[in-house]
Amino acid sequence: MLVLAVGDAHIPSRAIDMPSKFKKLLSIPDKISHVALLGNSTQSPEFLNFLDTVSSNITIVRGEFDKPTIITNRSEANGVSDNYEETNIPLVAVIKEGEFRIGCCNGYTVVPKSDPLSLLALARQLDVDIMLWGGTHNVEAYTLEEKFFVNPGSCTGAFSSDWPIINDTISNNTFEPSNAKEVVGKEGGKSQNDDITTSDGSSKAEDTGNTVADSNVNKQDTKDTTEDEASINEEDISISEVEISGSNVPSFCLLDIQGSTCTLYIYMFIDGEVKVDKVTYKKPIDE
Amino acid sequence: MSYSESVEQAISNIKQQTVLMQRSLNNRKLMDALKFTSTMLTELRNPRLLPKQYYELYIQIFDSLTILSAYLVENHSNGHHLADLYELVQYAGNVVPRLYLMITVGTSYLKIPESPREEILKDMIEMCRGVQNPIRGLFLRYYLSQRTKQLLLPEDDKDSIEFNSQFIITNFIEMNKLWVRLQHQGPLRERDQRTKERKELQILVGSQLVRLSQVVDDNLKLYKIEILPILLEQIVQCRDVVCQEYLYDVICQVFPDEFHLKTLDSLLDTSLQLSTEVSVTKIILTLITRLNGYIERVQQENENRDESNNIFQRFWKHLLKLNEERPDLSIQELSGIILGIMNLSLTWYPDNIENLNRLFSLVAQKCKDFGEEKTSESESFMVDLLTAQKLEVVKDFPIYYFNLITQCESFRTLLTLQSSSSQMEVLTKIIDSFLGRLMGTKQQTRNKDGDKSQLLITSKTQLERFLAVLEPMITHKDTKKENDEGNDTISREFTLSIYQEKLTKICHFLMLSLDKSTFKTIESEIELLLMIKNVFHKGGKNIKFTYPAIITNFWRMIRKCNIYKKRIPKKQIYYDNLIKQNFKYISRCINDMFNNCGKNSVDTIYKLNLQNAALADQLSLVDISYDFFSEAFSVFEESLSDSKTQFQALIYMAQTLQKTRSLYKENYYNSLIVRTTLHGSKLLKKQDQCRAVYICSHLWWATEISSVGEEEGETTDFFREGKRVLECLQRSLRAADSRMDNVESCELMVEILNVCLYYFVHGDEQTTHVGVSYINGLIELIKNNLKSLRLEEEQRLSEIDTTKIDSDNETNTSPYNKYNYVMGLDGTYIKLGNVNNSSSANIDFKVKDMKINDMIQIPIKHFDRTCEYILNQRDIDNRFKTVVI
Repeated sequence: MLVLAVGDAHIPSRAIDMPSKFKKLLSIPDKISHVALLGNSTQSPEFLNFLDTVSSNITIVRGEFDKPTIITNRSEANGVSDNYEETNIPLVAVIKEGEFRIGCCNGYTVVPKSDPLSLLALARQLDVDIMLWGGTHNVEAYTLEEKFFVNPGSCTGAFSSDWPIINDTISNNTFEPSNAKEVVGKEGGKSQNDDITTSDGSSKAEDTGNTVADSNVNKQDTKDTTEDEASINEEDISISEVEISGSNVPSFCLLDIQGSTCTLYIYMFIDGEVKVDKVTYKKPIDE
Repeated sequence: MSYSESVEQAISNIKQQTVLMQRSLNNRKLMDALKFTSTMLTELRNPRLLPKQYYELYIQIFDSLTILSAYLVENHSNGHHLADLYELVQYAGNVVPRLYLMITVGTSYLKIPESPREEILKDMIEMCRGVQNPIRGLFLRYYLSQRTKQLLLPEDDKDSIEFNSQFIITNFIEMNKLWVRLQHQGPLRERDQRTKERKELQILVGSQLVRLSQVVDDNLKLYKIEILPILLEQIVQCRDVVCQEYLYDVICQVFPDEFHLKTLDSLLDTSLQLSTEVSVTKIILTLITRLNGYIERVQQENENRDESNNIFQRFWKHLLKLNEERPDLSIQELSGIILGIMNLSLTWYPDNIENLNRLFSLVAQKCKDFGEEKTSESESFMVDLLTAQKLEVVKDFPIYYFNLITQCESFRTLLTLQSSSSQMEVLTKIIDSFLGRLMGTKQQTRNKDGDKSQLLITSKTQLERFLAVLEPMITHKDTKKENDEGNDTISREFTLSIYQEKLTKICHFLMLSLDKSTFKTIESEIELLLMIKNVFHKGGKNIKFTYPAIITNFWRMIRKCNIYKKRIPKKQIYYDNLIKQNFKYISRCINDMFNNCGKNSVDTIYKLNLQNAALADQLSLVDISYDFFSEAFSVFEESLSDSKTQFQALIYMAQTLQKTRSLYKENYYNSLIVRTTLHGSKLLKKQDQCRAVYICSHLWWATEISSVGEEEGETTDFFREGKRVLECLQRSLRAADSRMDNVESCELMVEILNVCLYYFVHGDEQTTHVGVSYINGLIELIKNNLKSLRLEEEQRLSEIDTTKIDSDNETNTSPYNKYNYVMGLDGTYIKLGNVNNSSSANIDFKVKDMKINDMIQIPIKHFDRTCEYILNQRDIDNRFKTVVI
């Protein structure tokens, strides 16, 4: 069972589209059984139409820029082209795949934003094993209290109004993106960080270091500091997209769920190529 | 002698006579053989034969005559001198058999080296005049042409080539006359039948031109002076539609394309003299296809192309003449030709946009002349013309459109003359091609290893033109129908949003396509962004779709300015001002949205204000940040009315404020968070108040923002006031307690307990003020409340038990069912499917078929999970051992 976790597209207000290589990867019919759309992705009918081709089973939660309701054109149901439906978009949703209960939320009503302990409390409230969230435009995955937390980042690398991500915080626990290019669902991609699954979630927020966040590839422009400052003009300064958008590279996640095992594939779009990483999470056995 | 009744009989007769003829030949009885041949040929006299049947018999007879011919050539010096035989066969009784025999003998004689070729050929073609019946005549002449194929004069001198071509032309002219005459035979009502028959026979006439092209070979002079004028004269004079269309086409096809280049004037002039029923479009397009083929061939063969003639100029003149002389031409026909000439221009002069400009301006004029008489057909034609989608020659549409937009004035003129739906269709195609190129989907580019160079806007004028072309989409309004139903409004809004989405994306495209070498400074970029904004402003209500993209781009400018500011310290003040100015532009955008877009956009406007506040805070622009926060408050207080909207909006405010760092100065932060909390405590519903206030407790408890270097445990100057945190929690608890719904009241308390645990993890009682005793008290309270809740459950349970006995058929789900519900962040009930994979997201504040027993399970289980968490924490944190559960 493949669950696609994707969010913060911000199409069209902040981005034109997902990278076409992402779309190509996802355009395999009947592969993905469920799409969890984690907010700020409903403003584009075009994008929603695309997701419809990925899976007919889409769970949407509301991001701060989603309207409370969504209009969909369910034309294929009965052949009538003008069959529009208006449905509510909830703040949180729970889906069930295999032995997992998966919570979904954008997190714009989680305070403090993206706080692991707050997310843990939410996961407890929703009684879920896996918590998918968004809002940060920065891909992240960690285990805490035997629960699995996944933020697929922004699938378009859209502008983020959060504090800009800084590049030099790659901790020892983070893993470098492997170069394995991978087709959806296929075996592959070295699991370079299996310890992520065995790590006991600490109770301290500051210890949740097992994150793939900040695996930022866009290097700061390393200007020669000895250069005479007075002579520098705007033209001499090159600015990377990340510095402007404050967002990490475009990314999404696929959760391959087999019974009580969830293999997470993290897809990132780096320098025009798709990089894939793999993390495995097993549901703890109830005593 | 007479012919057979049926085709079958005729065929068997031919076969029989052939056998007899062969036998006679074997016995060297030539006279008998000729007699049988003559009998066989009689079958070709049958006037009732249809063209196809006639052809069938002809083929058979042709083969038989080939046998005879071979014998004759072989025995020429054996006593049957062909000159004698040629005389002899003249005595055959009927004209058709006689002439076939004559041609057979005559052409056999031509194979003999010393025969008087010229004489024989002249005689044969002269004699063919004897048959004036169209079908018989056509086949006879075709027979002559086939038999003489290899036997014309040796083409070693000019005269003999001329003789040969003259011979074929004569035959062609006669055949053409017969062919045209066929149309007028028989009763008038069979006219269509005649036309059909003629089309079946056209190949016989056409084949003469093929022969001619073989004889002419590459002799342009001969073709231009001796041949083409005669052919064209024939075509014009016959005044026959079928003939004119067919032969014009054949001429274009069979003669070399270089010839057409050199004789373009006569070809085009002739096309004007044809019958008005002839499809001019078809004719011109054939010619254009050939001329374009020339370019392709020359390119493939790496030859130098003939530049002596401005082909476009020639066609352009022709077009003007046509437009003048043929006012009867419909706009479709004319645009068909124009599309063809476009194709020609793009093939021959790919970079010449002026040519296209002239063409579009002519069509635009035509459109104005024709006025409102637009059919859906002509509309789709115009779309084809404007998008050039059907032209194979356009290899890279984005570049093509880019050039049109930036250089071709009348493209826009023509576009604006189209119906709204056509305009949208054209603009959609154009925008899609740009976006496809930008995003790397190569669908729009036919050129495989296409030119990767970016399309760049190199001047303000270019951007202006871009925006002018887009204007119909910018100002697009869906026409409101009368008696508008609810669903209709939704569908109209939906369609509108599709166009506006494209437009919004093009805003990003334009900003990404600015040529850096022209627009060197960020100031010039901002200027262009303002240009886009001003044009988008014309969209009125539509700005609710497009302005967020404009704002995003201003944000990008702000971040860029900030980077420049850091790297170019001497211009710090300059960039500070620029940043401030950008925030003002954004503020203007937000105000425009507020004034134009009405209620639907207030929530968005509120959140845009908050994000601006956050961005300004990150840049330590305290006053700007505060101003945006206070704007957000105004929107909240004056325009957000619905309680659901208010709740989530307020929480978002809290989230944003909790991440600010610069507002501590001048007490801004404090006044803002107090106001937020106050609003939270004044929300309409008790449960919303409760949740809002416990969330607001976080406003007095800053947490690390790692990107600014903060770290829990390391940073010492976090804004934290445990006393206030506790106050919030207490107030929140009061709200929970006063909620009359027992289940919800309990759930809220469990949620507060979880918030307490959050602070418990964060520190000890001295700092957080949330201590063990408070937590234990809360747990006690929850336990008591749950107890009374369970009491309610027992009661209900017995009720259900009794009803269950009465109706066994009812769904006997146990009342101790695994609970199916949890409560969401905003108090919604979330129902969970029991079955795997059926992931129901049935979400509402009240689920209709929910039973009280299920509801009771929500706080009970939530409390259980919370207790489990506490137990687990005891392993890590000793303090948890003091929490009593």
